[in-house]
Amino acid sequence: MMEPNLIPTLDPNPLPAPYWVFKLLLVVTFFLHIVAMNLLLGGAALALAAKWRSKNRVFVDVAKKLPVLLPATITLGVAPLLFVQVLYGQFFYASSIIVAWPWFLVLVALTVAYYGFYYVSFQNGQNSGKSGSVMLFSVVLIFLIGFVYSNNFTLSQTPARWGAKYFAHPAGWNLNLSEPTLVPRFLHFFTAAVAVGGLLLVLIAFARWKREPDYARQIFHFGGKAFMYATMAQFLLGIWFLAALPRDLRILFLGDSALATSLLVLGVGVAIAAILLMSEAIRRENVRLAAYYVSGIVGVVILTMSVMRDILRDAYLKPYFRPDQFVVKTQWSVFPLFLVLFVGGAILWLVMLKRYGLFAGKKAEQEAPVETPELTGAAR
Amino acid sequence: MNYPVWDVVFGAGLLMAVVAVLHVFVSHFAVGGGLFLVLTERNARRSNDAALLGWLKTHTKFFVLLTVVFGAVSGVGIWFTIALISPTATSNLIHAYVWGWAIEWVFFFIEITAALLYLYGWDKLEARLHQWYGWIYFFAAFASMAIINGIVTFMLTSGRWIENHQFWTGFFNPTYFPSLAFRFAISLALAGIYALLTASVQKDAALKARIVRWSALWIVPSLAVLPILGWWYIRTIPASIWARARGPMPTATHFAFLAVVLLAVTFVLALLTLIQPQRLPLAFSLMVALVALGTMGSFEFVREAIRKPFVIGNYLYANSLYAAPIPGDGGFSVDKLDDVGVLTSAKWLSNREITQQNQLAVGHEIFRVECASCHSTDSYRGLKHYIALRQWDQDRIQAMLATLDVMHNGAMPPFAGTDSERAALAAFLASIQPVAPSPPSAAANGRTVFERNCSMCHQLRADDALFARLPKDPSEASNALRDLPNLFIRMPDLKLSDEERTALVDWVNTERRMQTNGMAVPGGN
Repeated sequence: MMEPNLIPTLDPNPLPAPYWVFKLLLVVTFFLHIVAMNLLLGGAALALAAKWRSKNRVFVDVAKKLPVLLPATITLGVAPLLFVQVLYGQFFYASSIIVAWPWFLVLVALTVAYYGFYYVSFQNGQNSGKSGSVMLFSVVLIFLIGFVYSNNFTLSQTPARWGAKYFAHPAGWNLNLSEPTLVPRFLHFFTAAVAVGGLLLVLIAFARWKREPDYARQIFHFGGKAFMYATMAQFLLGIWFLAALPRDLRILFLGDSALATSLLVLGVGVAIAAILLMSEAIRRENVRLAAYYVSGIVGVVILTMSVMRDILRDAYLKPYFRPDQFVVKTQWSVFPLFLVLFVGGAILWLVMLKRYGLFAGKKAEQEAPVETPELTGAAR
Repeated sequence: MNYPVWDVVFGAGLLMAVVAVLHVFVSHFAVGGGLFLVLTERNARRSNDAALLGWLKTHTKFFVLLTVVFGAVSGVGIWFTIALISPTATSNLIHAYVWGWAIEWVFFFIEITAALLYLYGWDKLEARLHQWYGWIYFFAAFASMAIINGIVTFMLTSGRWIENHQFWTGFFNPTYFPSLAFRFAISLALAGIYALLTASVQKDAALKARIVRWSALWIVPSLAVLPILGWWYIRTIPASIWARARGPMPTATHFAFLAVVLLAVTFVLALLTLIQPQRLPLAFSLMVALVALGTMGSFEFVREAIRKPFVIGNYLYANSLYAAPIPGDGGFSVDKLDDVGVLTSAKWLSNREITQQNQLAVGHEIFRVECASCHSTDSYRGLKHYIALRQWDQDRIQAMLATLDVMHNGAMPPFAGTDSERAALAAFLASIQPVAPSPPSAAANGRTVFERNCSMCHQLRADDALFARLPKDPSEASNALRDLPNLFIRMPDLKLSDEERTALVDWVNTERRMQTNGMAVPGGN
């Protein structure tokens, strides 16, 4: 059932910069957001798995990182949420309203999960049983938030489904469960999070390598294997996702579009390389290889996946959305100011982390992590 | 109409209000509280006050847990909520102000990072570096507020933006600076008010007294200066907008009164903490915080209420219709809808024509697209309640709908649509609150007739047209009231019964006599 007459009309204000500027910002900030989200959700899920396998220390160590990873996910998520509204507001608002209650309840779930993570990190290994339950509850909430996101964004790309859902339940108690790509798409995201969570453990192992070799080796193996198994599972999930796509969209990635196809080949190829490299790193007990190279490679994979996600969205929306629908009138009195503040803010942010001692490097990892000479020197 | 309407049973406006008020109560603390942290730390270190520093460390944890978690999530929550309730306004604001928000995001990012480093740095960093993070936090938080303030005030007083659509014209609109000063003063007061909360659970009495006195230094002067800043704020709001808060618009009037009273109570409570600062109980500081929340909430309600009928001043009505036709409005202006009708223009309707059978269903859909952004049927701003209060039957509702925009000093948008669509809406509204014919006693009471049928526009005062211009002769006056639009074109075509007209005229003449006798007019001002 096609109901193109439901597509909302754009508002009268012109686009305040060229289309590609927003597209670039959207894809880049989405990439950053998804990396933070993966570290958070994957890290938390693996912390639970570790606890279940009686590795309480791993649980405590990862739990301490979560109160920082969640605000990172949120703050990095605000930007793509802003830019998606700039370009795709017509679709995003409409689908959000159709699934309004689940979408609104994301906020409640997020707040509760957030306080849960803080609770666990403040326990610092005490109250082990309760910490585990609270952590499980928070992880389930984050998992559900991701599921609601998948529902909303798949619905935003399929306007043909809007009318039936909205008119049946205008009170906003809807999801998009009939969407064939919903489950594989969501699991694809979740499994990626587990893989990247594995890398978080590898990075923790790397930081502890010299000080506590036994413990570091243990989490390196645990995290490294989690990464490998999760990434292998992605091949099955990826095939499922691809198979669930409508035919005309699927073939884009199977030869119809040169860009989409090469990105898929690149992504898959690099992911295979990452698995092989990780396996080699574990065999040789070379944590640096895993921490630097596998992480770097995975960054490339996530970036290609982010671009592919964007290509897929535009393909879904092709009948309803054209980039040239926008009247562009760049706000020259403020856009450059954003660029300056963005660069300045990024520099200030790095300086803040550096002076705190977060980039003190291996020296700091081997010795006392904070009161480095560099740090106190800089302060005087 | 351009977007689907989220049908929130208890009222979308209430949900928005709850999210927004809770958010501002924390987000303003996030600004003033940042300055409080660094200045308190500086003082404590200068005076080598280890106890104070120890408390400040706990207070930082409280601060971060509240602002970084609840403050940040509820801030995102406002975005979520406005997009669900006012997608058209959100879309307009996003396209006009995305660079403002993008800049705010940069500061937000710095702010959150600095807050976490300041918290985790208490045990790790050397004193000066630690305070450096505190200052960065404060400046980023202030900058973030200074930007959002531009967009929020733009929605109230869009100023010359309507003419030129320039970013900075709308941003530095007439109320920008008074609002910023007003909000900053609130944020300083809140810094002290929240400090009372963590102070009151301290066991060390001497320490508690020090914190309470220091907090009072933040609260008392800031609250004292608020009326002056408020006066400046009000003066910059165009008189036509501010008039809505004085008299005819109940919401704004009530909340303006409440804001002033609660502000005074907060002020007195804050002074009372100084009587025995060493014994301040948690219950008392909680009470101060709750009253402050009430004050702040009332202020925000006034701002929202006087902005009505608009969501973006002089540009977009609260129900997402454009105030005047403009290129690219998609036909969603009142004029255009009056011309061609809602049923042919609105996208998110399932009925496209009115029949005898579907009139109520059509009326319900029109209610949803034109009224539901502010009103519910029977809870928040529930129309069932208003209709019951005024005892309007379907005909009266239909007549009144034609003149919505002159009611309450223009606090509501006009009804947009054709006459048959207005009839369908009236049928639906009459169906949610069926009204029995008035008993003769009610009809015989002129004051009741006035309150039910006239008081939405007319006020009980000598210079009001009803009292100034209605003919003195009873039968002539009663005759004139037969055809209201003939008296003034924007009057609703109400068919008042003979009894009602006679009672009304009698009552008007009695009131006139009381007035000329020099007696104060009750309720008039």
